[in-house]
Amino acid sequence: MILSSKSAGPAKETVARIVRESISSILPNLSMEAISGDKSLKDHGADSVDRVEIILSIMNRLGIAEPMSNFSNIANIDELVDYLCRAQQA
Amino acid sequence: MQSTASITGLGTKQGIVGIEALKVYCGLAYIQVGAIFEGRGLDPGRLSNLMMEKRSIGFPFEDPVTNAVNAAKPIIDRLDADELDRIEIVITSSESGVDYSKSITSYVHEYLGLSRNCRLIEVKQACYAATAALQMAAGYVASGISPGCKVLVIATDVSLVNENAGYTEPVMGTGAAAILISDQPRVMAIDFGAFGNYSFETLDSARPSPEFDIADVDRSLFAYLDCLSNSFEEYRSKVNDVDFVETFDYLAMHTPFAGLVKAAHRKMMREFAHASPQQVEQDFTRRVKPSLEYPGIVGNLCSGSVYLGLASIIDRAPYTGACRVGLFSYGSGCSSEFFSGIIDRGSAAVQAHFGIAEHLQSRFELTFDEYTELLEENLRCLRPVDNRDINIEQYGGFLERTTKNAEILVLTGVRNFHRQYKWTRLPCFSQPDKTKDPSRTELDRQAFEKDVNQTVQAGW
Repeated sequence: MILSSKSAGPAKETVARIVRESISSILPNLSMEAISGDKSLKDHGADSVDRVEIILSIMNRLGIAEPMSNFSNIANIDELVDYLCRAQQA
Repeated sequence: MQSTASITGLGTKQGIVGIEALKVYCGLAYIQVGAIFEGRGLDPGRLSNLMMEKRSIGFPFEDPVTNAVNAAKPIIDRLDADELDRIEIVITSSESGVDYSKSITSYVHEYLGLSRNCRLIEVKQACYAATAALQMAAGYVASGISPGCKVLVIATDVSLVNENAGYTEPVMGTGAAAILISDQPRVMAIDFGAFGNYSFETLDSARPSPEFDIADVDRSLFAYLDCLSNSFEEYRSKVNDVDFVETFDYLAMHTPFAGLVKAAHRKMMREFAHASPQQVEQDFTRRVKPSLEYPGIVGNLCSGSVYLGLASIIDRAPYTGACRVGLFSYGSGCSSEFFSGIIDRGSAAVQAHFGIAEHLQSRFELTFDEYTELLEENLRCLRPVDNRDINIEQYGGFLERTTKNAEILVLTGVRNFHRQYKWTRLPCFSQPDKTKDPSRTELDRQAFEKDVNQTVQAGW
């Protein structure tokens, strides 16, 4: 499944775009089109340091500061987007 | 109401309590991290983010007891009889216990020949435990309950990882760090009362059996990062006028692998200093890189890790006067602490007696095949058995390669669950004594300099 914004509002679309851009900036060999919502960051080739950097980069761009531990149970990029949308609204 | 402490200026290192001596023992052998990557078929593209070059490897005649004793013995040997008698508490910290009831300390106390009027205890909280022990020791010394007393804290562990550990296998170290706490803080004066803790329950990594570890990599790294931010925040709330960049000349952090410390520093610089990427890089080179030189060629020394980083700063950093070191200790499970202390060139002079760089340099290299040959037996290190024999002569072929010329404690076996040890002078066999050849020593020194420089540059 390609990361999509169907049935989502503009806010979710923006979050999804920022997530894709952040992943692609940390993993330059990965195009944004190749990022799949049902896969994890690890599945896309991000090592542990990359994963930290991707999450920090996303939070920085969204202007949120969630505990890193809150991301421990997130299984894939779709779940990451959903979590970030909830965090933004909180 | 929160109490507020003040840390003193850098004019004097003479605080009321601190580290009198610090020595590590990191085994006799090492393997290149790249050799494990190649042998296990790991992705070499991930090597750069680890920023690790070598990891120490133990032998089947080594265990948490021998590592602890071999780390502490050089400290003990430098004390006179009166000073030795003032060691009133010995604390080992370990996630490699050899018994559910009997402490590692009880063996260590015996083989170090310490006074029987001594309090013995072993503590556990993964890689944080040594710092808890250090702070409890500092509190005891500072209390004045026994003026002039000393406390010996020893962080000691062995590695229990194999190919099932994935990218953790190449970075796990083995060994011990011995820390003598007293009112003679010749190595580091602790900023007494300046600390911040952060702890919460999580299962990020653990050792549910004496024969293997489990780890959730993301959970552990994320917990580490949360603990660093929050323990520093707590430190800052207790201590007047603290700035993450200006207050600490150097930083030593628990180092599961050097790349994590670099990522953690980057996070802190963004969070507490709003630094640009260029400022982050410059600050890392100046304040953090010196702490990673030894860990980068040893691997994760568990609760001794942050003290290996401190030793690395003292030996390798280009300071000329007194400086403040910020230390961060983290242990899975989890508990953490940010604290600080003051070192100066006198610290380096004391530490020069212990020759940590030379110890690390004296280790010999194992091939991947030799490493795997030892691995099965090494994984039995903590297995509870009533009887077992370990013949050090069996490893004579390896030991012919050591340039180390010292007496070490070795495990010879187990009798009715009682671990048996003996002191053994390491054979140099037919190898020339390199320490007697100045040109050879200089060549070795240059090779070591090259090693450590390559290590810390690996991930840049």
